[in-house]
Amino acid sequence: MRYRLRAVLLASLALATLVRAAEPAKEKPVINPPPTAKDWADLAKLPDWSGVWNPKITDQDAQAKTNMPPWNPKAAALVAHQLAEEKAGRPPPLFVNCLPEAMPGWMLVTHNAMEILFTPGRVTMLGESDGNRLRRIYTDGRPHPDDPDPTFHGHSIGHWEGDTLVVDTVGVRPQAFIAISEAAGVPNNGDMRVIERIHLADKDILHVELEIIAPRVLTKPWKTTRIFFRQRARKFDIVEGVCLEGYHVEKTDKDGNAVFVYTPHNVGGNRIAPD
Amino acid sequence: MKPCLKGVIPWCAILGLAAAPYPVAAHHSTTMFDHAKSVRIAGVVKEVHWTNPHVAIFVFGTAKDGDEPTMWLMEMTSPGNLVRAGGWSRTAVKPGDKVTVDFSPLRDGKKGGALKKITLLATGQFYTADIRAQERPNLE
Repeated sequence: MRYRLRAVLLASLALATLVRAAEPAKEKPVINPPPTAKDWADLAKLPDWSGVWNPKITDQDAQAKTNMPPWNPKAAALVAHQLAEEKAGRPPPLFVNCLPEAMPGWMLVTHNAMEILFTPGRVTMLGESDGNRLRRIYTDGRPHPDDPDPTFHGHSIGHWEGDTLVVDTVGVRPQAFIAISEAAGVPNNGDMRVIERIHLADKDILHVELEIIAPRVLTKPWKTTRIFFRQRARKFDIVEGVCLEGYHVEKTDKDGNAVFVYTPHNVGGNRIAPD
Repeated sequence: MKPCLKGVIPWCAILGLAAAPYPVAAHHSTTMFDHAKSVRIAGVVKEVHWTNPHVAIFVFGTAKDGDEPTMWLMEMTSPGNLVRAGGWSRTAVKPGDKVTVDFSPLRDGKKGGALKKITLLATGQFYTADIRAQERPNLE
């Protein structure tokens, strides 16, 4: 009896070992270390990008004519149609669904301000409007994930070359527009990479040099520079900007509660004007 | 009320003026408005929608003397941009205010437009909305 029990115990142990061996090896989780006092102190060595940055819209307008992306024929035909429609008073409503302008659309055609925050291992860009825009740029040396989940702003890693922040972005949703204006742009359709070199061109002027590599819609990489002006007046502080808010009006319901009620808009994104 | 003040505004509808710098929306193009034209209406503010991405104001008024007063929709840019570019606040223009509004009219003939300037008749205070006027650093 004792031998039989020992045999059963041994067999159980052997089985347990086999099962454990068959389990996939568990990867050690990557832990983000807490920032040190030196990490915080090192931030002071970075260039001063504080304040609020508003875009040079007239330069966006100009580049829509002077610096057309090298579209492939299909994309070029779409953009030509969009520009004709806009000229005819029927601007294509690329962004009126209130989804984010996304990357690289935000940097290319935004009419709204942004701010840039430095914390250890990260640069964060916060924009006003279209649902409060947000980009996280990791500067802690991590690589891109092997297969990032596509997102509106993609996965961004950055490093400093002197006073220039070099940002590499992949993993952007294929629906995100490469836009030349609020009315003309083409979805990147996937496999896009955006490289940015961001630096102060003057004391209070920020340049974002973009190189957009989008083999599904561009015949070669497209380069453009977008310009932002620093503002320090408090009235420029970023305020909440929820895009869908405008598709609602404030009402009081039958119970006296303050509520939002949907209000219809036309295809162009405006409220319905009286006849 | 007499929405279009004789003498003060001899021609309430001013057409064909050279386009002043025009307001833009926060997330779409504004070519549905005819920026080559400028129309003026006079009337009373009925509703102010101080919302992102576009603020809107409904004005009950007329474009010229003798017209039946009717409702007009004025679209403009975002609250944040209006505060900075035009000196607006949430309460700058309120329901009940008597105003004149200069705007680029809708091309489709509906009663609406892109607001260029709104003037409060009681004080003469006016507000504009040109975000392209913000293109230099350190504005105050």
